Amino acid sequence: MQISTVQPIFKLELSHKVTPRIVIIAKYDGTHPCLTASAGYDKVIIHHPHGVVGGRAQRSDAHAEVSELNLSQAIIALAAAPLKEDCTRDILLIGSPTQILAYDVHDNSDLFFKEAPDGVNVITTGKVGKNTDILAIVGGNSSLIGLNGKREEVFWNVVSGKVAAIIPFDFDKDGENELIVGCEDSVIRVLKNNQFIIELAETGPVLCLSPISDVRFAYGLANGTIGVYEEGLRLWRVKSKQNVISLQWSGDWLACCWTNGRIDWRDSSGRVVKRVQLRSNAAGMLLADYRSVGVPDLVCVSDRGEVLGYPPHQDTTGFNAPKKFASEEDRLAITELMNKKQALMVELQHYEANSTSENSTFDIGHRPSSAMPTNTRLQVAITTNTEEGCIQLAISTNNETIVRAALILAEGVFETGETLAKHPPQGQLKPVLFIPLTPPKDVPIDVHIKALVGYADSEQFHIFELTKHLPRFSMYKLTDSTIKNITPGNVTFRITERLQRIYIWVNQNFLLDEKIELENEVQDLHLSFFCLRDRTQLDLEFSTDGQVKFKTDDIRLAGDLIQSLALFLNLTDLQVCVFFILKLYYIKLFLNYYK
Amino acid sequence: MEYDLSRIDYTICGITYPDSLKILPSLDEKVQQKFVVGDKNGVLQCLAIKDEEPVVQFKTLPGRPITSVQLGCSSDSHADKTFAASGNEVKGYTRKGKVFLTVSTLVAETITSMCVIGNDLILCSGRTVTHCKDFNEMTSFTCEDRILDVAAFNAPNSTRIRLLLLIANKGTAIADNGHLTVQTHINSGPSRLAVPKSIRPSEICAFYGAANGSIGLISYNKSELKSKCLVDGQGLGSVMCVGWYSNHVGAHLIVGRHDGSIQLYLTNPQNYEDKLQLKYSYFCGEPITSICGGCIGSDEPEVLATTFSGRIFGLRPRRLLSTAAILSNIPAEALATRRLKLENEVARLEKQTANERDKYQKNTRSLQSSLSVPPLLDVQYELEGATKNGWQEARITSPVPLDMLFIYCNNKLDLETDSAGVLSLCPPQNEKSSDILATIRCQTGTRRLWIHMRSTKNTTIIENIKVLIYVLPAGAPRVSRLFKFCLPMLPFYWQHENQESLNIRRCLCEIHVTGTFSVVEVTSWLSEALPGELPRPANSVKFVRSHTLLNTLLSCEYERGSAIFKSDNISTIADLKDIISNCVVRKGLKININYDISENCCAEAFDIIEESFITEYKKRQEKNLKESLRMLDLDSSIENSEAKSFLCSDYLRVWASPDTSDETCFEQLVYEMEKWYKDWCKLSSNTQFSSSEFKVLHQSLKNCDTMAVKSIFRRNGSMEFVEKV
Repeated sequence: MQISTVQPIFKLELSHKVTPRIVIIAKYDGTHPCLTASAGYDKVIIHHPHGVVGGRAQRSDAHAEVSELNLSQAIIALAAAPLKEDCTRDILLIGSPTQILAYDVHDNSDLFFKEAPDGVNVITTGKVGKNTDILAIVGGNSSLIGLNGKREEVFWNVVSGKVAAIIPFDFDKDGENELIVGCEDSVIRVLKNNQFIIELAETGPVLCLSPISDVRFAYGLANGTIGVYEEGLRLWRVKSKQNVISLQWSGDWLACCWTNGRIDWRDSSGRVVKRVQLRSNAAGMLLADYRSVGVPDLVCVSDRGEVLGYPPHQDTTGFNAPKKFASEEDRLAITELMNKKQALMVELQHYEANSTSENSTFDIGHRPSSAMPTNTRLQVAITTNTEEGCIQLAISTNNETIVRAALILAEGVFETGETLAKHPPQGQLKPVLFIPLTPPKDVPIDVHIKALVGYADSEQFHIFELTKHLPRFSMYKLTDSTIKNITPGNVTFRITERLQRIYIWVNQNFLLDEKIELENEVQDLHLSFFCLRDRTQLDLEFSTDGQVKFKTDDIRLAGDLIQSLALFLNLTDLQVCVFFILKLYYIKLFLNYYK
Repeated sequence: MEYDLSRIDYTICGITYPDSLKILPSLDEKVQQKFVVGDKNGVLQCLAIKDEEPVVQFKTLPGRPITSVQLGCSSDSHADKTFAASGNEVKGYTRKGKVFLTVSTLVAETITSMCVIGNDLILCSGRTVTHCKDFNEMTSFTCEDRILDVAAFNAPNSTRIRLLLLIANKGTAIADNGHLTVQTHINSGPSRLAVPKSIRPSEICAFYGAANGSIGLISYNKSELKSKCLVDGQGLGSVMCVGWYSNHVGAHLIVGRHDGSIQLYLTNPQNYEDKLQLKYSYFCGEPITSICGGCIGSDEPEVLATTFSGRIFGLRPRRLLSTAAILSNIPAEALATRRLKLENEVARLEKQTANERDKYQKNTRSLQSSLSVPPLLDVQYELEGATKNGWQEARITSPVPLDMLFIYCNNKLDLETDSAGVLSLCPPQNEKSSDILATIRCQTGTRRLWIHMRSTKNTTIIENIKVLIYVLPAGAPRVSRLFKFCLPMLPFYWQHENQESLNIRRCLCEIHVTGTFSVVEVTSWLSEALPGELPRPANSVKFVRSHTLLNTLLSCEYERGSAIFKSDNISTIADLKDIISNCVVRKGLKININYDISENCCAEAFDIIEESFITEYKKRQEKNLKESLRMLDLDSSIENSEAKSFLCSDYLRVWASPDTSDETCFEQLVYEMEKWYKDWCKLSSNTQFSSSEFKVLHQSLKNCDTMAVKSIFRRNGSMEFVEKV
């Protein structure tokens, strides 16, 4: 468990406070990197160790190598890129709540100025799709805009939530960049040719995204989770108390910068290898060749304006530390081995003590406080409870032992945290325990169950662990399909798949008491579901001729169903006819109200 | 942090008790020293380190847990003898591991600390000190409370021995010939002693480490026993063990703490009262139980430590490590061989464990049901008294890494935890229930965790708060240990005061309980009310405790059939009365409770805390001001620019003040004062509760109008005064 710290390779003070998350490094003259950050409400500071920045930027009183740029609006986001044609100089992009300013720091001229009626949350730069120009991509409150250096809107799209992070990334490896967009609605989306091609459901609002390699990218969430995706599959994730400020791939490790000023380096499996603590909270962490040595260093900025640089890790030489000695590595390995040995010995002792006690018999009146019949097993069943409007987990033992308590761990399901617990009062202990679950969203969930089993007066309980998979649409209970669904809202479309495949999709994505089976090929499939959340009805109608109709008034549900089905059937294109008269009526009412 | 030491793991033993590892002095030319360690399994082993590999010199068979290990006094013939205490017995071992002495005391309690001087053995078990002269003739005496540690000194110009004792909740005392001659109170709760090696033989002087993390010095000079705090706790864990480490710079006091940290402080041998200089600090993640300094793995001195779970490791100067092979005579391959050996051993253990695991799991599938009785997990917990803000800390220590903790409480609680855990509150079990469920998910490798608990304000507590903690380890014995405890109703009263503190003029309220009950019965009542350990039942018990926040006193005096509780805090008296009557009703006892409330008790008690009340008020005002200033987003350039003139000097001072002093307990104080008023109206015959007056009180407390508060508290008092005239 020994985690070493690292010494920084350079250190400097900006003598200004720095607003967290609004820090960039740009080359305004095309060659020398300058640290640029928001210092308070409407002030931008530029650190220029390699030469003076003139123009509107004023020399700071507090620091000779820092210039201040005062704007009359709050600064929300900063970015920089060589947007100007035939010019390698970086143009500074400043995002304020309602507008974007592109400013040429070197020339002291405004490149353009653009209103952003949907607000500005984040700005990223890079090449996207077939465009050869570098674009500025602006994430707003519910939209995404791509701007080129001529102030022209190259694309525009709607996103279902406040955009918090965008990176250009070649997700499908076709040689063109897609955009990976992280939103407040806990979904990471991939935008290609102005269409969302992939949605990765996460467990909390997305805060940051960072590319790692051609196929991997890292993400950080507002609930403290960070993780890595490879080709759309999550490789690992860990959760912390802190929120992540920035993630950067440096050397062979992922550097994570947390709000409290901690920076850790993780290996490819997410294990912490090195750790440092800044003297105050962190404001940003970037990769830049700030020393002009040819390799980018990790540049960490604290909110008090302290800047520390760390060189990338290389396996052979270690950090900047002098050559590592074989003996020291051996010692670390020995400590680690001792940990392992100790754990094994404890386990072994446990079995030994258990087997010795097995031989002796106990009176019924004198049951030891940690005893349990050896053949005790735990069973878990998932059912639905229509009255309470929830899914119910029934946890039971196969003998007279009781379930003292049960802990359910699942992400993004419980309002108050990551766990749900049941601890019945002493008098009501039974061999079976029911736990209600109400997932707020239609996403597949893995629930981890830890049940403590023993006797009512035990001092020590046995832990039984189980993981259950809840399918995506588990909040819909199959009901009698003869009940007429009077819901006016519906979506219709046509597919060219055999019904057999539809049966598989239904079995995989809904919580059914028993699997539905195809009886004959010629019969239409008509299923009715009862929605446990709002007690409405959902009807799925699949005709043998490929005509499909989903009856529901919930637009989101209809969308989710189509997305899920299309993904299952591998459809890239699907024409859908939508009919939601009630929703439209409400919107009209709303609009009239605000007129 | 001037020293650069790095960790070397030597070996593993069983769970260890505090102060159960000692380094033997080297006898011949050889510089490298051996060490002895005793563990919970009762195994005492003497080890030498060769090429970083432990070599067993002798090892005893398992037996009763070894609770303390000591060496003979360095100046005489027993220098290389080891004494190991288990239960009420002490065994002496020669350097070769032969038992040359067995002493068993008459007390039933376990020996927790001991010391050896010349041919004399001093043993402490519970409240009893046993003096074993020439290893056979025994005399003993008892103290008021448990004895935590002892050090022996030769008396000047005589063969008598004087003892320096640390007594739980009382402080320190000097015992001469079985009598406590001088006694002094130390607030911080000293728990371990370390006598400097270079004092004059007749001088009495020792460093102490305390439960609140502070370190100080006790000295006895001209029949005056003094103590001086040298290093504040600073949020560090309580001291578990202290030791000495000497190198070319000088003698260092080493401190091992419950939070898993080790500190090296340089002392000044000319004047021990000088400030200690922190030279090195290390964090190992689990409680340190013993710590020593000596030449173990090389010819250079290093620090040797044991942890609760039984890890034995050294901290050696890194300078030596980097030039390893040349200086410390360790062949480069030796380490690699050691690693390989260990790897093989772990592999073998893995195989064996897998086999056993299979066997265990097969049992669960068998139809024949037999009982599986895994041993109880060796997890320990401690509950501390409340801090100024009302937080009570529960500390959990485990020999195996923890996975999760599950907390259940029948009352609403505020909870906080370590940075090593993620606290997650669960949704309530049903809408009406007032209970709380929470889980703490631990970082990998966590073996120690604290939980802060505080009953949520404005909830009326009818019965005492029961807390259940289920400890789920990360490793393979998939069992969860349950701890049950009650949070005391008067958690603030944990600091002990001496009897004399009552003599300072205070206006005391009193309850007098009479009836047919025993001292044990009273102890059981008090155990629901007060935090920490209570004095063991005796014929008559007397003690005084003080309130952490308000500094009010609570005096308890009880014997068979009669108990008197006095306090200048009316709420304490009111609460205690409720607690006692609740207990009595539950048990169906018949008792009489008489109380005597002085009419101006609130006023007088407020006079005492007025000053601290005003300070807290100011602190809070400054905190608010600072927050407002911070919102202005002033940048740090303000300090050296003309912008300074924008702020008045007062604001500048507040703005520049460090963030650490932000904690205030003003809200808690206001809450207590309001409770005083309510309880005063409830108990006093002359005062009626008036909600308008309460509103005035609330406002004047919020605005720190102390005159108005006093006039409310004095209202009836002054009237009575007139009547008396």
